[in-house]
Amino acid sequence: MLATITTKTIADRWRGVVIGAFTVALFLVGGMAAYKSVDLSLYTNLPEGFRELFGIGDSADAAGLAYGAIYGFYGALILAGLALAMGSASIAGEERDGTIGVLLGNPKSRSEVLGSKAISTFVLTAVAAIVLWVGALIAPVLLDVDVAGMNIGAQAFHLFANALFYGYLAMAIGAWTGKPSLASGITSGVMALSFFAVGLLPLVDSLADVARVFPWYYLDNGEPLVNGIQWGGIGILLGGSALFAGVSFVGVNGRDLRLRSVGGSIIDRLREDPRLGAVIDRISGSVGVSRIWTKTAADHQALTAISAFAMFSMMGVMMGPMYTAIDEQLATFGQDLPEALMALVGGADISTPEGWYQVETFSLMAPILVMAVTITIGAKALAGEEAQRTMGLLLGNPVRRSTIVLQKTLAGGLLGVVVGGATFVGVVAGSVIAGLGMDIANIAATSALSVLIGFVFGSLALLLSAITGHVRTAVVGAVGVAFAMYLVNSLAPFSEGLDGLAAWSPYHYYLTSDPLVNGMPWGDAGVLVAITAVLVAASVFAFGRRDIRMSG
Amino acid sequence: MTAAIETQGLTKHYGDVRALEDLDLEVRPGEVFGFLGPNGAGKTTMIRTILDEIRPTAGSAKILGLDSHRDSVEIRTHIGYLPGDLAMYPRLTGRDTLTYFANLRGGVDWAYVDELAERLDADLSKKVGDLSTGNRQKVGLIQAFMSKPEVIIMDEPSAGLDPLVQREFQAMMREVASEGRTVFLSSHTLSEVQRVSDRVGIIRHGDLVAVEAVQALRSKAMRRVEFEFATHVDPAVFDNVPGVRDVSANDHRIVLSYDGKMDTLLTTVAGRYEVVDIATSEADLEEIFLTYYRDTEVVA
Repeated sequence: MLATITTKTIADRWRGVVIGAFTVALFLVGGMAAYKSVDLSLYTNLPEGFRELFGIGDSADAAGLAYGAIYGFYGALILAGLALAMGSASIAGEERDGTIGVLLGNPKSRSEVLGSKAISTFVLTAVAAIVLWVGALIAPVLLDVDVAGMNIGAQAFHLFANALFYGYLAMAIGAWTGKPSLASGITSGVMALSFFAVGLLPLVDSLADVARVFPWYYLDNGEPLVNGIQWGGIGILLGGSALFAGVSFVGVNGRDLRLRSVGGSIIDRLREDPRLGAVIDRISGSVGVSRIWTKTAADHQALTAISAFAMFSMMGVMMGPMYTAIDEQLATFGQDLPEALMALVGGADISTPEGWYQVETFSLMAPILVMAVTITIGAKALAGEEAQRTMGLLLGNPVRRSTIVLQKTLAGGLLGVVVGGATFVGVVAGSVIAGLGMDIANIAATSALSVLIGFVFGSLALLLSAITGHVRTAVVGAVGVAFAMYLVNSLAPFSEGLDGLAAWSPYHYYLTSDPLVNGMPWGDAGVLVAITAVLVAASVFAFGRRDIRMSG
Repeated sequence: MTAAIETQGLTKHYGDVRALEDLDLEVRPGEVFGFLGPNGAGKTTMIRTILDEIRPTAGSAKILGLDSHRDSVEIRTHIGYLPGDLAMYPRLTGRDTLTYFANLRGGVDWAYVDELAERLDADLSKKVGDLSTGNRQKVGLIQAFMSKPEVIIMDEPSAGLDPLVQREFQAMMREVASEGRTVFLSSHTLSEVQRVSDRVGIIRHGDLVAVEAVQALRSKAMRRVEFEFATHVDPAVFDNVPGVRDVSANDHRIVLSYDGKMDTLLTTVAGRYEVVDIATSEADLEEIFLTYYRDTEVVA
């Protein structure tokens, strides 16, 4: 596998890609089994906007719902995320790791290196789509579900083209800037914006056509699962990918390559300003390194700021006016939603402002963005210092291992609260601006619960980091368990035999009590706090007893 | 007097791999102790074990009389440490990095920090990630020295330093020792160890094979002897002389390594061949070091 740059890149990344795709395929089997046991006639009456947002197609049968919800929603996001990660690391990743010099020390041009990376991203994205396709073929056979009229291959092809688009967009940004974090950040933003625009714009009649501007629109436009490959949409996605690839080659050949540089931030430039330098230096420099927890918090301020801003603006403030703009028919229609489906979105009635916010803001995005912060810090807290080989230096100072774990936990907790606080302020603002009259204490309670559910999985990442010393294991493990627990809580109520399972999922203690309407469920909050406390204590115990690694 | 560093039966295994085996060592206060060994000999494992980064399979270690595991936090108030293959926080400037570690220690004398920075010609205003290897190493050295610790433990500290800075760094180590403090220096830069160390320990495949004062080691060791003859001499004449090895001949010149009385060696050639010149030199640390490793290969 080390014969070429392409094969080496594939060798480096194929496990993560295959495991990610395989996991989604497994969830397809689980989802299909759950949908099989539900009276599916209820779905035919679901509002279109709702179905679009959650990837539920027109087909009201177990296979159609599973393919639509599991592949059209989770599968599409995960596959695009995998391609995005590969694309952003193409050239910029080699620069970040300081390996671009030795790579180009060989008789290979920049274009050849970039071309190899582009091919490996293409191949691995295709492999992931094929794994999903094979999973989609096997699942109905295993469960004896009728898939007549389903064009599974067309859906897999659309998933591939959609993912490749974002992968090559990230590659292009990385090729022009040499900054993988910037490439993945911008592309993630484009992807999130596109995803929500395509889900929400059709809810407003006058804006429905605007959704066509966003690339995510072409993932499911024309219902490829039912109608086969939609060549117009595929042409746009693959054409965009080809354009990005071309842009990448221009970019990488036209600039200085970076030498493991950390670059400069806006704050760095402000520190150099003689008028502001002293104050900024005090805030970002002296304070940032005054304690382990302050340094940890400072290290993750960008991620926190982005997450908090997204929750405040898109998921908080904007959702209020959006609610008032949605179709009257949709608002009243929510009252007829099946109980089982309401469990999927936290038991909310989306015809009410509280239900709307619960579905749009709190059911998925609030915990995801809090977790983005807490899982990242949890995973990197210990294993990250080991991967960067700074743990030895840190432990060369008179600090206990338990102090390191607890101070890093404190940092993760505080930044999680920042995201939760931004959610609270945004939702209150959205409610006030739109005149929705929501209870502020209940908004605070729900925001606090979103922080607590983030703490649970952040602490799990911390524990995995403390046990293994591997960042990737901690992230994949925590995200995987979070995803599985979400599905358990969402899908178990669909099946009479399995409904008791939901109580084993931490999500059961998040929105089940409908806190936006009923206020803080102190018992549920206590369960989440207790789980977090146990995981943190276990982390202290585990990290205190193992050898420190010298690499990740 | 309490030893600066003391290990008893210190052993570390990784599965079947013996990284350290029954290592007994005492480093005295006020000395510069050089710890020698090639890559993979166990130098870094030994340092990480006595600093409680990794836990011994057997045995124990003390620093300043404190148990390396039980009293690890107390120990770290008294030591300075520079890890091998140094990595630091790339987004912090050198000064921010030092501030961070100074805060973890409860503060340092910043005038001394600035003095160290000046001596090493270190730029503390740049981000660590933008520094060259040598300049990054200077920041690491300053953080190891800045709290004026009683024991400074350094793993390959000269990596990337230019000769001028190396010289200044060696002077700093000698000053530490002259103040009664201790330097434990792990290295395979033998010339540096030879120049600054009072004693050296040589580790080989996890076993400590020698601990000697540098001078004693050199005086005991083989010396190089170079004969210049008036005519060509068959180097085989030295084959049966005890203590002779590594004989090489070039024209009228024969160079060999010899461990024994010079009288015996001279008797071998005196009267038989016309000796134009003889030159002998005391073995340097590199030859001693290589001798230990050559022995290993012979045994192996």
